[in-house]
Order: sequence, then structure tokens, then C-alpha cells
Amino acid sequence: MNDSTAFDLNLHKEAEELLPWYTTGQLDRAEQALVERHLSGCDECRGQLAFDRRMIDEFAALTPEIDTGWMRLRARLESPQSWKHRVRTEALAAWRSLARPSVAAFAFAQLLFLVVAGSILLSLSRPAYRALASAPPPQSANVIAMFRPNTTESQIRELLQGNGASLVGGPTPADAYLLRVPARSRQAVLQRLRSDSHVLMAQPIDGNPS
Amino acid sequence: MREVPTVNVAGTAIRRRTAGPPASALVERELLDRIKAHDVDAFERLYRIYQPRLARFLINLVKRPQLVEEVLDDTMMVVWQTAGSFRGTSKLSTWVFAIAYRKALKARARWPDPLEDGEWDTRVSNDPMPDAELQRSRIHDALDRAMRQLSTEQRAVVDLTYFHGLGYRDIAEIVGCPVDTVKTRMFHARRRLKQALPGTLADWL
Repeated sequence: MNDSTAFDLNLHKEAEELLPWYTTGQLDRAEQALVERHLSGCDECRGQLAFDRRMIDEFAALTPEIDTGWMRLRARLESPQSWKHRVRTEALAAWRSLARPSVAAFAFAQLLFLVVAGSILLSLSRPAYRALASAPPPQSANVIAMFRPNTTESQIRELLQGNGASLVGGPTPADAYLLRVPARSRQAVLQRLRSDSHVLMAQPIDGNPS
Repeated sequence: MREVPTVNVAGTAIRRRTAGPPASALVERELLDRIKAHDVDAFERLYRIYQPRLARFLINLVKRPQLVEEVLDDTMMVVWQTAGSFRGTSKLSTWVFAIAYRKALKARARWPDPLEDGEWDTRVSNDPMPDAELQRSRIHDALDRAMRQLSTEQRAVVDLTYFHGLGYRDIAEIVGCPVDTVKTRMFHARRRLKQALPGTLADWL
């Protein structure tokens, strides 16, 4: 076998192997050109090409029946096992998320904020610490606000101080905070809060828009 | 499976077929993003896109219809539960088919193929059937029988190529082997198919 024959045989084998995907149009340009050059001079490969085309037609005619199995699968989505998996997955994701340094730092800041805010509220609620006859009556909240999850304690503090707002309560189950802002400037404070990038939501809560 | 314009080259026609259903890859990716947020409606849409394709793929691998349902459901449950881990480095269809292929191989280990129906070629149907329909039915039976002569790995490659219109690189990713192995499997599978089909080769050209 001379080099030329060996080369032709290799080319024939390569082209023949590629033929099924040539037939379905799945080859890149170089491979397609290789097959076409070879096809023009190879009866065997042209026969193989005809066979591949026939097979593709026959396979396409074998249309599978479309099953109505969706309801069966839908039931599995609601199964206790699926819920367990979901709870486990989400708990794992939450733990992984908390383990990230930036999130852990934020969570610590939030915790610190809650402890400080809680201490202040607790101290305000203790009669023993009030000066006689001088304690102001407890103020009710007139604004409810939610902050973006990545807002730090110092950013929240700065926002409250900058708007003359004080923390009255929260976080609520929905992570909202109850604030007391000066009644006369409440509308302006609400607008400033809403335009702040750290604030998700700020609404009056006593129905008085003043 | 859609066909797009036929190209005439060197006296032969090639069928340039897309490997997917009418929904574009973009739509599928959008659905997957919604599935990551546990959107059941999006999951139902994806299921309806993939169910016929997977059913067709799996019946060639596991043979038992009940097992096809089981493997198909298991595959889609994995999609539902691990959609968040799909990084998009491969096509969505490649990822889904690869899950189905692995599930099918595991199912086969538990449930081997049912025994062959030995009376296949002598059976006479009691139902009258028009000639053309009878002829088509015979062809399908013959093809099915020939496919049974192939190994599971060969059947997967043949079906992914001829029916699903996938390229050999995608197939290699689905079945987890080198691209040259895919080409070799297809090469030998075609030889065995030709030998196993009834009649002469000319009947199949």
C-alpha cells in the first residue's frame, strides 16, 4: 500500500464516519467540505448517504405518543419527599449564603442592630429609669419601612438620624420597621426615604397623609 | 423536529434539521430561570417540550413503557430540583438528555429488556389494515427489531443522531465518552442495522 492509497483510505473512513451528521446538517464547514469532496468520487459513501437519509426519514415517521404524564409528575412535586428535599436544599443554600464573609458580616451587623435597638426599647419601657414626672408619653409609629437586605446597621442609623426619625418597633415578620417621624414633615421624609437606594418601601401607617 | 431548507451538494440532498422542538433555546433558558425560582407553570411548559423527545429517546433504551415513564419522571424531577446548578456551559437539551441517559442506564441494570416476541414475523393481525398502513407498520416493526440487535450505547447514539438530529459533540457530552467513540459506535451500529434489516440493502435505499 503506497502513501497515497493509505491517505485515501483514511479519508474514506473519516468521511464515512461523518456521513450521518452530514446528512442531518450538523457538521462544521470544514467537515462538510471534506465529506463533499470525498462523496463526488466514492460510490460506497453515496450509497451510505442514501441509507442514512432513509433511516432519518423512517425514524422521523416513528412519532412517539404524547403521554399525559404531567399530572403524575405534578403530584410528585407536591409530595412530602419533594417538600423535604426543597426545605433541605433551601436550608443548605441559606447556610452556604450565611457562610460567605460579606453576608456573615451583614448578618452580624443586623444582629447587633437588633440587640442595640432592643436594649433601647427595653430601657424605655422600664419605669424605674424614668425621671419623675418628666417622661414623655410613648410615641406611636407613623411610618412603616423596609430596607434592602444588604443595608448595614450604620446606613439605617444614618437614614433615621438624617430624617429625624426614630425606631419604634420591628422587625415585623415581614422584616419591616416601625418608625416615628415628625408629623409635620412626614410627607417629605417619606419621599426622601422612598428615593433612597437602601429603602425598599416606606408608607404612612395611620392613614393620615400629613 | 423541524426541517429547514434542503441544500443540494454534489448531487445529494442533505437535511439540515434543527435539534430542538419549536420552542427556541432562548425560551427554554427563560423557562429554566423561572424553574430556578420554583415556578411550576414554567416547569410544566418545559416538561411538555421535553416529554415527547425524552419518551422517544428512552423507549429505545429501556424498552418497558412503565420504566420509560419512571425514568422520564425521575429525569424531570432532577431538572426541577437541580435547575439552580445548571451553569449553561452546555446546551440545556444536552444537560437534560445526559440526565436521562444516566437514569436509563441505572434502570436497565435493575430491569433488563423484556424477552423477544418470537412470533413476530409469523403473526397475522385480525384487524383489516390498508396496504399502505400495513407496509408502514411492517417497516416500523423491522426497524424496531433491527434496533434491538444493537447495544444500548449504540442505540442511544443512533437515535440521538437520526431522530433527534444532534451533532456528535453534543452526543459525546450526553453519553459521557470521547467524540471519536461516538463516531465509531455510529459506524458499527449502521453496519449492524444494515445486516439486521430484512430484505436487501437496495430495499432500504
